Amino acid sequence: MKWPWQKRDEELDEEIRAHLDIAAREREERGESASKARAAARREFGNVGLVKETTGEIWGWASLERLWQDVRYGLRMMRSSPGFTAVAVLTVALGIGATTAVFSVVNAVLLRPLPFPAPNQLVALWVTEGAPGTYPLTGADYLDWRTQNQTFKDMAVFSFQESYNASGAGEPERAAVVETQANFFSVLGVQPIMGRTFLPGEDQTGRNHVALLSYGFWQRDFGGEQEVLKKSLNLNGEHYDVVGVMPSWYKGPGGADLWVPMDVSAKNLGPRGEHHLQALGRIKAGMTVQQAQADLKAVSARLAKQYPDSNSKESAVVVPLQEQFVWRSRTQLWVMFGAVTLVLLIACVNVANLLLARSVGRTREIAMRTALGAGRSRVIRQLLTENVLLSACGALPGIGLAYLCVAWLRTAQGIPLSQPNPIAVDPAVLLFALGLAVGSGILFGLMPALQTSRTSLSEVLNSGGRMAVTTTSRGRLVRNALVTVEIALSLVLLAGAGLLMRTFSNLRNLDLGVRADKVLTASVALPGGQYATIEAQNAFWRQLVEKLAAAPRVNGAAVAGELPPRGGSNGYVTIEGRTSDSTANQLVEFDPVTPDYFRTMGIPLMSGRTLSEEDEEAAAAVAAKFMALYQASGALKASGTKFELAAVINQTMARTFWPNQDAVGKTFAISEGMITNHVVGVVGDTQCADLGRGPLPQAYFGLALALGPNPPPLNVAVLGTGKPAALAGMLRSTVQSLDNSLAVFDVATLPEIISSSMTTTTYQTFLLGIFAGLALLLASVGIYGVLSYLVTQRTNEIGIRMALGAGRGNVLWMILRQGLAVTGAGIGVGVAGAYALTGLLRTLLYGVKPTDPVTFVAVSVVMVAVAMFACVVPVWRATRVDPMVALRYE
Amino acid sequence: MKDRYQNRIELLQGTLDLLILQTLRWGPQHGYGISRAIQSQSGDILQVDTGSLYPALHRLERKKWIKAEWTISENKQRVRVYRLTPKGRRQLTDERSRWEQLSGAIAGILDSVRGEFES
Repeated sequence: MKWPWQKRDEELDEEIRAHLDIAAREREERGESASKARAAARREFGNVGLVKETTGEIWGWASLERLWQDVRYGLRMMRSSPGFTAVAVLTVALGIGATTAVFSVVNAVLLRPLPFPAPNQLVALWVTEGAPGTYPLTGADYLDWRTQNQTFKDMAVFSFQESYNASGAGEPERAAVVETQANFFSVLGVQPIMGRTFLPGEDQTGRNHVALLSYGFWQRDFGGEQEVLKKSLNLNGEHYDVVGVMPSWYKGPGGADLWVPMDVSAKNLGPRGEHHLQALGRIKAGMTVQQAQADLKAVSARLAKQYPDSNSKESAVVVPLQEQFVWRSRTQLWVMFGAVTLVLLIACVNVANLLLARSVGRTREIAMRTALGAGRSRVIRQLLTENVLLSACGALPGIGLAYLCVAWLRTAQGIPLSQPNPIAVDPAVLLFALGLAVGSGILFGLMPALQTSRTSLSEVLNSGGRMAVTTTSRGRLVRNALVTVEIALSLVLLAGAGLLMRTFSNLRNLDLGVRADKVLTASVALPGGQYATIEAQNAFWRQLVEKLAAAPRVNGAAVAGELPPRGGSNGYVTIEGRTSDSTANQLVEFDPVTPDYFRTMGIPLMSGRTLSEEDEEAAAAVAAKFMALYQASGALKASGTKFELAAVINQTMARTFWPNQDAVGKTFAISEGMITNHVVGVVGDTQCADLGRGPLPQAYFGLALALGPNPPPLNVAVLGTGKPAALAGMLRSTVQSLDNSLAVFDVATLPEIISSSMTTTTYQTFLLGIFAGLALLLASVGIYGVLSYLVTQRTNEIGIRMALGAGRGNVLWMILRQGLAVTGAGIGVGVAGAYALTGLLRTLLYGVKPTDPVTFVAVSVVMVAVAMFACVVPVWRATRVDPMVALRYE
Repeated sequence: MKDRYQNRIELLQGTLDLLILQTLRWGPQHGYGISRAIQSQSGDILQVDTGSLYPALHRLERKKWIKAEWTISENKQRVRVYRLTPKGRRQLTDERSRWEQLSGAIAGILDSVRGEFES
């Protein structure tokens, strides 16, 4: 194929040839000899090359043409030194690949707008209370917000994920279900790929037995069948018609396997004070988030006046939906992106070093080019073109690597990322990779190009090539500086990885406050339709605990609302006689449990007693009355009924509410004062919320308080005599002997639960560990390169020294000292850099300060060890120098 | 030969374009022919440097004032000849009137200077 400028070039050639021919012929006609005529015509014409070049430039192809020349030359250079090319391309590919992969996540999660129409109008709604943090909404408040606001086009309420027994076309399984208001998907502006979303009015009892399938559930359970819209599902024993299938990319808000309409009657949404709903809203066009925030604050203030008992501490929070998705992952993503950028930088530095080493060998070539008339800028341009070409060659496999990483990320389970945008290598990511390729090519190429082009002409040409061995000390300085930078950057990464590893082990070895290595846990949910009364539910759980406890190789069994290290429901308590003090805003974790819970989980009793069978029966009676009252009137407070129950509290609660007193015998009230609890015992603390949040005040009640019209799944704990995993079969069959329609799910030992709640930290540690490992590898290659170059360069000198009587020890020390100096400088700079940067990790760490000296010392030692290892071969080579050979060198 | 080089006049920027356009008014011509024509019509005073001629020709071609095509000359030589385009013809009229204004202006200045010297 011919480039446009090549054709023009050939034409110009011919035009000039014709000119010369005609001029010569005219001269011949005037009587000059043929050869003289030709020579004169040429002389008269002048510099053919120059004319061609200036004429060519008229067409503006010249710079492109030069680029093409440089590219061809660069490709030739790459082919001529395949070893160098392979190492450089591989290094660049790793750097660009890793950076691009991480960027594709950053792009999907942090940069791209949410894939909904007018995403800036979408907000999530939360409530603030006396205690710090944001909380879910209550049904009654939501209905008031929705009717009284001035700034929202619409709002939709939805539940947290719930676990349902689902059977469609396939086997019965547990499905994650989110109940939504009928307008939920139209507020978001998401269309189904088949069928429809919910119709107005389908969020009322009687019409709400319709279900939307997620793409995944449709594929999994219905095999992607096209006729699915004519099918139905059985959810918790009830019949639901399938009305639509959502697109595969839709993962939230309210991500689930299935969606069903929520009954949004005031009665079903629950009273004020019961915070259990999520909500999102679409702000009117032209209104800002601030205006919406102010509006809802005003509405909340009115409600607080109107309902002081439940709402006095409450206000509204409006969070942009995008922010809602990213706030958890922002820090960790930028940290990972920063880390991988450091790896890329180290890769660039390494290639720069390789190029510098090679450029010494090219000094003569460059000098020759200069002598033939290439300007310095022309030489630099040519070298830079070569380097960008090199990095472009690295970028291709790099992008391939990124594709693989992204493909893996999309299928990998349990990655702690929730984002509505799919992670993909999209045009923006490709553009980024391209930018990286060009940018890194210039970055690692500029220094060597400048260095090489500075070559003094006469010196090099006169030295007959020996220049290569005696290059200026400046070159060495540059190379040492580059390796120092490399070591420093690696040390920063190592320090970050080290801190996360310590966090990982701190969490791993965290004392949960339970001794549960022999405990197996599982979840079981009772369908509210089948077990409509508290009595029926309570009877089931009592039988289950009795049967489990009586099973062989079992030492105890219990049922609980929540298990450490996972928290769940919480609330405020009131203490008679105290109106306002520091404890008024203190949330207490609530956990309804069966009597044997503490013994089964190995939670120590500190004083008093644990809950008894009588307490449990009393709780069941109270719960039954509670439910009857609620179903009769919908308003509990109005009845004025009071109940009394026994409760066990943990040490933190005792210390917080009754400092320096015996908490046993004290009372506290819950449920807006309706239930007074007598503290009968104090037990040890457990980690009852997120790992690492420390023990929180916690109160244990009779299990019946967890029961109700729509009972949540409860946790079963079985204490075995041997390995807990062996109890799984027995647990399943016992549950099914009582009711074979029930599924047993989330079967796990406690250590398994702990590691699953550590996924985020595990991934962070794993990723940063990989990046640090890569950095270490690259840095050691750098050190190795510099030292072996040094040895080659000084072979002559070493030979002379040895001939003059220097021992191997002296030589060894001479070279090693260089390696040590570079490493030491790098570690110094690196420690300072790490000291300044690890603060960014603060929120990701647990039990270790960002400037933890132990970690810093440890990673420095690792760095020195790796550096020494990289020195071994060059130093050994130096000591093996034979003086006779060395002196004959050159 | 030597004399001619001494008498050689540096052409003003843009003047060469005018001369090329003017030369092409008599019909299509190749590069060598154009330079010969300018040289002979100026009485050997104007010697066109090929380093200026070819860039100028290609510049005019790019501006579409002249059009280039390959033909076979009387001596069976394949040559690239240039032809004035209608656009180039209009340009020539413009350039000529500008040139006349310019030379008139310069002549006016020089005449007044001569007057001073002669008085």
